[in-house]
Amino acid sequence: MTANHHATDETLMRFAAGTLAAGPAIVVEAHLASCSACRARIGTFEAVGGAILEDMDPTPLSAKALNDTLAMLDDDEEASAVVPSPPTPVEIEGIRLPDALRGCDIGRWRWIGPGMKMSRVGVPQDPDANLILLKVGPGRALPDHGHVGTEFTYIVSGSFSDKFGTFRPGDLAEMDDDVEHQPIVDRDVECICLAAMEGKMRFKNVIGRMLQPIFGI
Amino acid sequence: TQQTPSPDALVEMMMQVAQGRDRQAFALLFRYFGPRLKTFFLRWTISSAVAEDLVQETMLTVWRKASYFDAGRAGVATWIFTVARNIRIDHLRRQRDPSALPADPEGSPDTVEDGLLGAERDAQVRQALKTLSPEQQTIIRLSYFSEKSQTEIADELGIPLGTVKSRTRLAMNRLRALLEDRS
Ligand SMILES: [Zn+2]
Ligand SMILES: [Zn+2]
Repeated sequence: MTANHHATDETLMRFAAGTLAAGPAIVVEAHLASCSACRARIGTFEAVGGAILEDMDPTPLSAKALNDTLAMLDDDEEASAVVPSPPTPVEIEGIRLPDALRGCDIGRWRWIGPGMKMSRVGVPQDPDANLILLKVGPGRALPDHGHVGTEFTYIVSGSFSDKFGTFRPGDLAEMDDDVEHQPIVDRDVECICLAAMEGKMRFKNVIGRMLQPIFGI
Repeated sequence: TQQTPSPDALVEMMMQVAQGRDRQAFALLFRYFGPRLKTFFLRWTISSAVAEDLVQETMLTVWRKASYFDAGRAGVATWIFTVARNIRIDHLRRQRDPSALPADPEGSPDTVEDGLLGAERDAQVRQALKTLSPEQQTIIRLSYFSEKSQTEIADELGIPLGTVKSRTRLAMNRLRALLEDRS
């Protein structure tokens, strides 16, 4: 699976820095699992982190810090390597989902409009995360919409097209807050994607905004 | 006063820790990185005691996971940065949900896959960073020390979002050009 649409430098930098919010980070991680090009770029940004760390002004540690740590090494010698249990695949109603969703709380599919279902994904490390799975029927158009904060979308299956091109499984779509677009799912097969919205905006508002045009509210 | 060890000397120390379980080498790494890590963690907590705990947790992880260090993939500073980054993320998570189990600090994405030797790349990136303008450096550092989005960064610096975006883009282009020049 070779992706055609990738993460921006800024996103990869924040991911490498560990400062990308939990929801978007999960979507980016799903893409990284299938994209060696972006994984290689992350390495450069981790090296930037290493350089920043090395250039930091040192803050003196308490006198006992080193000895305390050395003492912990003694205790630690006994600690045996824990063999990790084989990971269980993540799925929703039989559909395999990206491993990046491991540990998340995946809700059931809920009807949100004609040919459209949604599942809210609970992220344990960030209760405020706006992360959803969307399932949209073949040929269906999502409402024309803008964004508040960047929208990150990873395509799990199927494909959709908008004015930026066609997005296929493994691709990552990053839509800036100044962008408006109308994704249309390609014919033949439904499209499942994982989407996160940046920012603290409440979930209800996100969906409300997306569905506004459908229901005319 | 302590001399700055060269990237190769750091790799040598790491190898002694990984293969020889050498406490003296570990102490050298601790003396060099410990105070820098404390400054790093103080960006995220105002408590000196918490910052010191996180330094210890980081260095303990460096000891435990030393065999995972691969000099072909990352320099020592870069590898220790990723360990500290994961400890910080985990610390934040435990603050939000105290019942959460500590995550595996190695459970982060796999990284570097090009042929450049880790220490060599560390040195190049460090050089490249120094050539950025102060404004560009500020934007880059903010990305490493806050979870703020570009919109929030623009608010904080009191400059338009477009300016934040263009500075980021310029810094990125410059960094990439410099790194490509050298590789
Ligand atoms: Zn990619
Ligand atoms: Zn959108």
